[in-house]
Amino acid sequence: MWHRRLAGGPDRIDSMAQHSYEIALSVGVFSPMVSFWILVFFGPKFGKPAAGWFALVLGMGVPLACATYVLLGWLGAMDAGQSAALTANAWRGQWAMLGDVAITVGVKLDSLTVAMFFMVTFIAFWIFFFSIGYMSGHSDEVAGQRKYWRFFAYLSLFGFSMLGLVVSSSLLFLFIFWELVGLCSYLLIGFYFDQPVPQYAGMKAFITNRVGDFGFLIGLMLVYFYLGTVDLDEASSRFAQQAATGTGVFASHFTLFGWSLATIMGIGLFCGAMGKSAQFPLHVWLPDAMAGPTPVSALIHAATMVAAGVYLVARIFRLMTPDALMFISLIGCLTLTLMALIAVVQTDIKKCLAYSTLSQLGYMIFGMGCGAWIAALFHLITHAFFKSMLFLCSGQVIEGCHHEQDMRRMGGLWKKMPVTCATFLVGVLAIAGAGIPGTGIGLGGFFSKDEILAVSYARAFEWNSVDKIESGHHDQPDHAGVVPPRRVVLASDLVQHGDQGRGVHDGERSHGANNPAAQGKEHRGTHGETGLATIFSNTRELPKWMFYLALFIAYVTPFYMMRAWWMTFMGKPRDDHVHHHAHETPLMYIPLVVLAVGTIAAGYFLFRPLIADAAPAATAAAKVMAIDGEIHTEAIASAHHYLVYAVGPAFVVGFLIAIAIYAKGLGVGERLKRMPVLAPLHTLLEKKYFFDEIYDFVCVKGCLLVAAVAGFIDTWVVDLLVNLAASATERFAAFSGLIVDNEGVDGIVNGIAKSSRDFGNVVRLPQTGRIRNYILAATGVATVVFLCVLWASSVAREVAVAATSASLGR
Amino acid sequence: MEIGLAHYLVVAAVMFVAGLFTMITKRNAIGILIGVELILNSATVNLVAFDRYQGPGRLDGQMTALFVIVLAAAEAALAVGICINVYKNLATVDVDRANSLKG
Repeated sequence: MWHRRLAGGPDRIDSMAQHSYEIALSVGVFSPMVSFWILVFFGPKFGKPAAGWFALVLGMGVPLACATYVLLGWLGAMDAGQSAALTANAWRGQWAMLGDVAITVGVKLDSLTVAMFFMVTFIAFWIFFFSIGYMSGHSDEVAGQRKYWRFFAYLSLFGFSMLGLVVSSSLLFLFIFWELVGLCSYLLIGFYFDQPVPQYAGMKAFITNRVGDFGFLIGLMLVYFYLGTVDLDEASSRFAQQAATGTGVFASHFTLFGWSLATIMGIGLFCGAMGKSAQFPLHVWLPDAMAGPTPVSALIHAATMVAAGVYLVARIFRLMTPDALMFISLIGCLTLTLMALIAVVQTDIKKCLAYSTLSQLGYMIFGMGCGAWIAALFHLITHAFFKSMLFLCSGQVIEGCHHEQDMRRMGGLWKKMPVTCATFLVGVLAIAGAGIPGTGIGLGGFFSKDEILAVSYARAFEWNSVDKIESGHHDQPDHAGVVPPRRVVLASDLVQHGDQGRGVHDGERSHGANNPAAQGKEHRGTHGETGLATIFSNTRELPKWMFYLALFIAYVTPFYMMRAWWMTFMGKPRDDHVHHHAHETPLMYIPLVVLAVGTIAAGYFLFRPLIADAAPAATAAAKVMAIDGEIHTEAIASAHHYLVYAVGPAFVVGFLIAIAIYAKGLGVGERLKRMPVLAPLHTLLEKKYFFDEIYDFVCVKGCLLVAAVAGFIDTWVVDLLVNLAASATERFAAFSGLIVDNEGVDGIVNGIAKSSRDFGNVVRLPQTGRIRNYILAATGVATVVFLCVLWASSVAREVAVAATSASLGR
Repeated sequence: MEIGLAHYLVVAAVMFVAGLFTMITKRNAIGILIGVELILNSATVNLVAFDRYQGPGRLDGQMTALFVIVLAAAEAALAVGICINVYKNLATVDVDRANSLKG
């Protein structure tokens, strides 16, 4: 049964426009799949560049056109204030009924989808373009065969999966596409399947993701079971409802590590994001994934798929409890810190970028945990632009230098690769957050990362003071003393947004958000002190060390990025062979230039307003729990104001240190490495905190140990028991067969037979077969009987005579 | 001397013993048959004699004697048939050699 949901939306929207957006998004999702199937069946017939151009046009060109169409129309609708209605009326249908639960399928049509869809198609389009050049060398050679078309078939499949993930409005379908992108990642990492390293890297990525996806599945099952739906919006509103009434998932008293069931649900879903976005401690697969072709690293492992985890958290933000968000912050903070430090010592250009990606993903997740919904997604977008470009630059360098990836053997490439050098620098500036404080001039990271830091600052330092200020506004001090004001916010926003929180009443919401205490006053009589106070009693402010770490890494990031750039392009050529061959080709640097322009533009235009437009609805229920930084806009603004001066110079400091160390070649760095104080640290970082070794020891060796123990038990316990039973059975069978049966039963049977035979032998003796004997015997017997009778009758007569005479005598 | 019951009985007994002796001693199946006939006839004589002297006027014995004669005839026919079959199978009517009934 397919139906359009009409509840809750004003009718004045242009239904034609609505249809056209949904159709355009669907066409955009499915055309890469068509491209995939065509390439799968007819790929070899396309020939070398043709398969690439085909995938570029059908696999990404069409989606990009659709995305552009939707984006332009959407911007108009946003200006007309219709976006919320379009979101509310987005098509969704029922796919299946499982008991009482309808499994829905549909298009999630909101500003975030539009922004993500456009970002993915735009970047993917240019990476497809880059791949045509990159793969036309010898990069498509696998096991002695050219797999050019196969590469583009996989890329198309990835396009389909990723766009489906972005568009899906149901958690179940999101999960399906989620697994599909994982599959594509596996296929593309292991593209060079004839070599062991990519093979194992692919397996590692897949298996590590399984760990995370298992958590996702648990979360999904909890959502299905307790919320009774898999639709994102429906689940969110039911979650808020249950939070308000203390029913459903909130009625459970189950706890694990002190987390309520609602928190476990959120953390379970987040586990999926941990796997896909390679968050600590599941980060190990991403650096190894660099064994795949460089465009894959750019598209999947920098710009889109790994960001899907952040996108997922953004989508399920309304299902998060404060505890779950605290967990997310912690994971994000650990990831961004630990991975950035590893990036400092990496010498492989792609590995360095990979650890940088991990660190930036950590920033996004950290931001999500802090409630910086807008900032984290904004950072996702800007990061996607500059990091995909950085990877393409590294691909250009690697391809130009004949597959040399070691930065220690590069140097001085700027003369040979001026465009790559310049675009790489743009990326470095963007990731470093370069900008001029106070003027509003800056590159992507300057806006997005600083905003994350600002929100985390507000969460860590100004949270309580903000509450105190706001609680001072209302005139019921007796209650204010009993119930902390934050929980008043919970109840008030819940009543307003819990059920119809679909972004329809934008104006009202922002009003309510700015003045939560005023609304709290109205409702606290009924809801103020109900279950919420106890359920969310452990809402905490952000630990300050998390903010300090994030701030510190903001200084480290420019350092390692500038180090990578300087080692690669500046200084003197360190390897004549590499330097001699270095070159760049227009087919490959056009995408670099386009993405560089995109990187610069992404910070200013389009994306921040789009995400901000999606935020109120997407975080509505979360506001119920008073965890959204956006509530305290003023606090963040003031934090931002201070922070710009704290973070602003970070890139200058980082750059200067990097240049100071690497300006004269590698000498200074080598000497630092050997300093007794730094040497152990360097080893620790170079070995990536021994995570691979620990996992190898704990997981792989552990697995083998368990297998060995199980094998031992199997051999010595199970087999022993089986063998014992077998041998006992054998012996018993021997006893029962040879002794009891042969001797006993057979003895009885044979004995009976033998005795019968013996008796028969005796009895048959008179049976001579001679009739005359028989007659003689018969006559003899008759004679004897006759004589006996005669004797007996004579005796009887004598007795009778005696008796008679006796009686007569008397 | 008045011929009485005892005379008949003696004759019958002689006939019986003669028949029995024939049956026991003869190896020829036909001979045995003749012995059987003798025994039957002795019994018949007994029957008639007892009827005459023990229950005169009732003809029970005579009737039974007639049955015996008929039975004897039937039996002779049957027995001769058996003899012929024995001869067909064993090419002899010597009862000592026809010992298939030996257990």
